[in-house]
Amino acid sequence: MIQTDSLCKTFTDRKRGVIHAVENVTFSCHPGEIFGVLGPNGAGKTTLLRMLATILEPTCGSASVAGFDIRAQAQQVRQSIGFLTGSAALYERLTAREVVTYFGQLFGMEPNALSRRIEELFTELGIHAFADSRCDKLSTGQKQRVSIARAIVHSPPVIFFDEPTSGLDIVAARTVMRFIRRCRDEGRTVVFSTHIMSEVEALCDRIAIIYQGRIAAIGTLEELRRQTGKSAIENVFLSLIGESEE
Amino acid sequence: MRRHIWTIFWKEFRDIFRDKRTTFGVIISPLLLTPVLLAFIGSFILGQAKQAQAETLTVGIIGADASPAILETLKGVPNLNLRLETTTRETAEARIRDRSLRAVAELPPDAQQRLTAGQTVPVKILMDVGNDKSRLAGERLKAGFNAAGSVALTRRLEALNLPPEFATPFKLTEEPIKTGGSAGTLVIASLLPYMLALACFSSGIYAANDLVAGEKERGSLETLLASPASRRDIVLGKFLAVMSVCLAGSLLSIAGLMIPFFSGLEVYAWLVRGGLQLNPMGIGVTLLMQIPLAVLFAGLLIAISTFSRNQKEAQSYLGPLLIAIIVPAMMSMFLGAEVSRTMALVPVLNASLIIKQALLNSYDTAFILIALAASALYAAISVLFCTRLFQKESVLIKS
Repeated sequence: MIQTDSLCKTFTDRKRGVIHAVENVTFSCHPGEIFGVLGPNGAGKTTLLRMLATILEPTCGSASVAGFDIRAQAQQVRQSIGFLTGSAALYERLTAREVVTYFGQLFGMEPNALSRRIEELFTELGIHAFADSRCDKLSTGQKQRVSIARAIVHSPPVIFFDEPTSGLDIVAARTVMRFIRRCRDEGRTVVFSTHIMSEVEALCDRIAIIYQGRIAAIGTLEELRRQTGKSAIENVFLSLIGESEE
Repeated sequence: MRRHIWTIFWKEFRDIFRDKRTTFGVIISPLLLTPVLLAFIGSFILGQAKQAQAETLTVGIIGADASPAILETLKGVPNLNLRLETTTRETAEARIRDRSLRAVAELPPDAQQRLTAGQTVPVKILMDVGNDKSRLAGERLKAGFNAAGSVALTRRLEALNLPPEFATPFKLTEEPIKTGGSAGTLVIASLLPYMLALACFSSGIYAANDLVAGEKERGSLETLLASPASRRDIVLGKFLAVMSVCLAGSLLSIAGLMIPFFSGLEVYAWLVRGGLQLNPMGIGVTLLMQIPLAVLFAGLLIAISTFSRNQKEAQSYLGPLLIAIIVPAMMSMFLGAEVSRTMALVPVLNASLIIKQALLNSYDTAFILIALAASALYAAISVLFCTRLFQKESVLIKS
């Protein structure tokens, strides 16, 4: 469902010169799988996900998402994905219902189908109680639930989660984690980027360790443990990026 | 796709008008604050005028002893307290400076004889022209001498058996033509183009800043960019929303400025002098010219917002742009309606001058055509520029 081949992205900065944010990233992930992208801050996780979501254009390499080329068929790619970040990124002056309706309309949903889908999602995510409240009146957890509804209103086959629990309390983070598992159970392809080891351990079927823009290793957690001879995920990670455990 | 543009436009439009800053700036300020402010200025002017009329001003007369008949006439001038103890010019000037006298009339020693002999009496009115009350006292003295002069003239004519009309070969009256302007129209023609340009631009500031720089700041732009809407659709939807706010700001400013003219309230008398004589063409052209202005401003505002990382940065870029808008708009206040055609090429000023010409019924067809073409060109460049900028990854996604 997602296939990347030597994907790279460079930026030019006046002070720092040419920055290789992502270098030769190649991996694939499949429907019904949670693919974790684990790396420290600044490793290139967000840049990688932004390229796959067609927000950024790759400098070199290629990738396809849901069978569509990210360069040549960018609109079809965007039609097939959901994108959720840690910041709820809602429109404060709109109500929860208005936000989800807006995105449903952007994804070209018919009004009747959209209304039915909103009712279904709001029931599942427990949004009805605050559906007609403005987003600036909602708690962080409520906002994140609305954000989830917004990301999946069009039932995308591929969903990207870019550090979706950053800044969330434990209850809101658990809601997101539950939702990610459900997406996998429904047969969607899930790409999940984070720097939190415990989340990777709890959720991911396979993991790509990314460091300084390059993929250091890919595999299941068990495979990575065998490869490094370490059992604790922190040690597995440090070993793969060549850092000392001290 | 056109569908995306309209979806984004309607969402942004609704969102903008839920922002209290926009509601205040676009609706409340022109419809309520402007008329209230104008009324406040009016009531202040009215109060000042009434107070000045009612206040008794003390004036001195040099040489009054030798001219009792003249003095008698001046005693009839209302709210004028005559003091006769001043004898020299030096004393008079000192007393005007210390404000114990507001003005002094200096009569020659032979004033009475000259008047009786049918000669002209030279009278010097001493006053401090930098002081309102001194000027007013001087005016009252002049009025008093004019009245005394009329009485003397009538007597002289009677003595010669001549009618009063003998001394008035021409009687001049002003009669404004029906389709011409009025003092009020001139005020509006000078004020309106400047105020409209300013209202049009400032109305869109909050909206434009919020719609791109604000979205970047809140992280919601990324989500929108990951939707099927293309960047062109997104920026055009946002552009249309800002343009609508700019237009709404202009139109409501016109409505707000019209309130004094149709209210009939005395506090607006200072502004409404002679009423307002607007021709349908003038109104039509004024409304029409708001479109290229709104397009130009919305494009520039969106471009600045796109270029900025956040709303604060956008605000800092707006200062110089605001000056670039205000200066040509202000120039229209000082220029007459009939100006050189090269002015038709200056953005903002050209639109303001067309409005001025239209309101004053003083059309220059060639000027209007050149200005319309130039305005349309600048507006198109502005839209093209903001659309291109929005599609530039390095500008849109600065990290």
